[in-house]
Amino acid sequence: MRLLATTLLTLLLANGPALSGELFIVCHTDVTLQSADVRDLFLGDKQFSGSVHLVPVDNAAQQPAFLERVLKMSAAKYSTGWTKKAFRDGLTPPLVLGSDAEALAYVRRTSGACTYASTRPADLSLVASF
Amino acid sequence: MQGGNNDRARAGRGWLAVATFLAVLAARPLWAAPDDTARMDALERRLDASMKLIRELSQRVEQLQKQLAHQGIANSAGPSGASPNAGTAAAPSPDEQRISAVEQSVQQIALSTSDRAAASGLPLHGFADVDAGTHNPTFPNLKGADIGSMEFFLTPRLGDRTRALFELNFEVDSSGDVGVDLERAQIGYQLADSTTVWLGRFHTPYGFWNTAFHHGLQIATSLRRPAFLEFEDHGGIMPAHTVGAWLTSAQRIGDGRLTYDVYVGNNQRIRGGMLDMNSAGSAHGGAIVGGNLGWLFGGALDGLKVGVDALSSRIEDVDTTPTIVTRLRSYGTYLAYDTDRWEHIAEFHLFSNYGLQPAGATYHSHAGFVQLGYRMPDRFTLYTRYERTVLQQADNYFQALNTGGSYHREALGLRYDLDLASALKMELATTRFTDRTPMSYDEALLQYAIRF
Repeated sequence: MRLLATTLLTLLLANGPALSGELFIVCHTDVTLQSADVRDLFLGDKQFSGSVHLVPVDNAAQQPAFLERVLKMSAAKYSTGWTKKAFRDGLTPPLVLGSDAEALAYVRRTSGACTYASTRPADLSLVASF
Repeated sequence: MQGGNNDRARAGRGWLAVATFLAVLAARPLWAAPDDTARMDALERRLDASMKLIRELSQRVEQLQKQLAHQGIANSAGPSGASPNAGTAAAPSPDEQRISAVEQSVQQIALSTSDRAAASGLPLHGFADVDAGTHNPTFPNLKGADIGSMEFFLTPRLGDRTRALFELNFEVDSSGDVGVDLERAQIGYQLADSTTVWLGRFHTPYGFWNTAFHHGLQIATSLRRPAFLEFEDHGGIMPAHTVGAWLTSAQRIGDGRLTYDVYVGNNQRIRGGMLDMNSAGSAHGGAIVGGNLGWLFGGALDGLKVGVDALSSRIEDVDTTPTIVTRLRSYGTYLAYDTDRWEHIAEFHLFSNYGLQPAGATYHSHAGFVQLGYRMPDRFTLYTRYERTVLQQADNYFQALNTGGSYHREALGLRYDLDLASALKMELATTRFTDRTPMSYDEALLQYAIRF
């Protein structure tokens, strides 16, 4: 069993992250957003969808692809931007979860939560795909 | 029967392999990103999490296999020797039960992990810096190494619309004593998407620099603030803090964003030759009022912000008897351009002050700076800044301030980002005072600034 796990991990390490697959922006079912809102949502400039308080969640496994394709900015600029936002406006930077499974599980049970993932779950609201 | 158990055990291992593969796929790390210490740390954390997940899944499958073995023994010892599924056609098969159990395990692990991450407690952030140089960057009569400041800011989550921000700063004064300032203590209610009204003590929203960086030296490219924009107790000539109410908003219009701020608070006073923001209240009920209107460009000019601001305050100089009172009026304009490659900031303020007690003439003064920054590859940023003030010494306001003299400063600096949270900065600067006591001095400064 250890051999199997080690082999799988080795193969994954050798292949690197899958940046080429489709990226889905999904939200809890109580959220209604347009694809044009995605940038504002993850930069802290959009905080409500109707009366629902939005909760952006970063998915560390897909973050490089998200920053490159959707926000079109470097990880350094994204991180510094949130530090400035928190310092000036008192906002809290997005929660960072490690994988699709963790991020989607959090979004499913959290009102207003949104994230991005490499898979499209049928039970969440699809906002956009990139 | 034993053969059936072996088949089930093989099937269990097969499902374990599939589940493990899917789980690890879902937890892909960031190793192919550009070489970055933070990402390597993230990779290690992901690898640890994946190994933990595999261990837990292995334990779960072993547990299932043991249960299956016991079940097989019990069935073989039973009187009928019939299949456990006989007569219960609708019941799930053992394989389906195992799949369901593994799925539940994976789901529970994911939920548990996200729960732990979400329950991170009260967000605590901060900045700190240490310096060395031929002069202290704040108190130029000192030289050598110095502790800059260490500060914490808290942004507790209080609910959907209530927000709070507290900023506590520890710094060393010119005599070497450590002072503690409650830099900001503001509680706000979010009226709309990007509109919040704050009450308490806040950074006065004039110009660009004061609210964008303030004590956050690690997020500012340069080694220090422009001298005339320094904090009140560091020789600043403008009220960097206000105690009162502040409405701030940013409305998206097309590709751009309109920002505006309106505030009212206690008027400031001059005590000991320095501005004081009357945090406990104003003795005579005066007020500061002001506003800031800006436009953030989008599209091809993304990163550019321009704006104007104005403020008016009744300033009492309590060092004199009788008290001298001056109307401070400032009108400003600013520009900031921040991209992956460039960071340019310019700010200009025109003062039009007049005496209230005794009544007097109106004096016009001005102050401003231009800073140009170029972010080079390999984490280096080169910057240069020119600051200049021309302050009328007959104006009671500037006359009463210890640092109300005119000056100009030229600076050239280099910043190196060691990582996302720490930076080394070097600066060469020349400062020349042009009225009160004409003199000049040169500086070579070094700073290590972090954020957390």
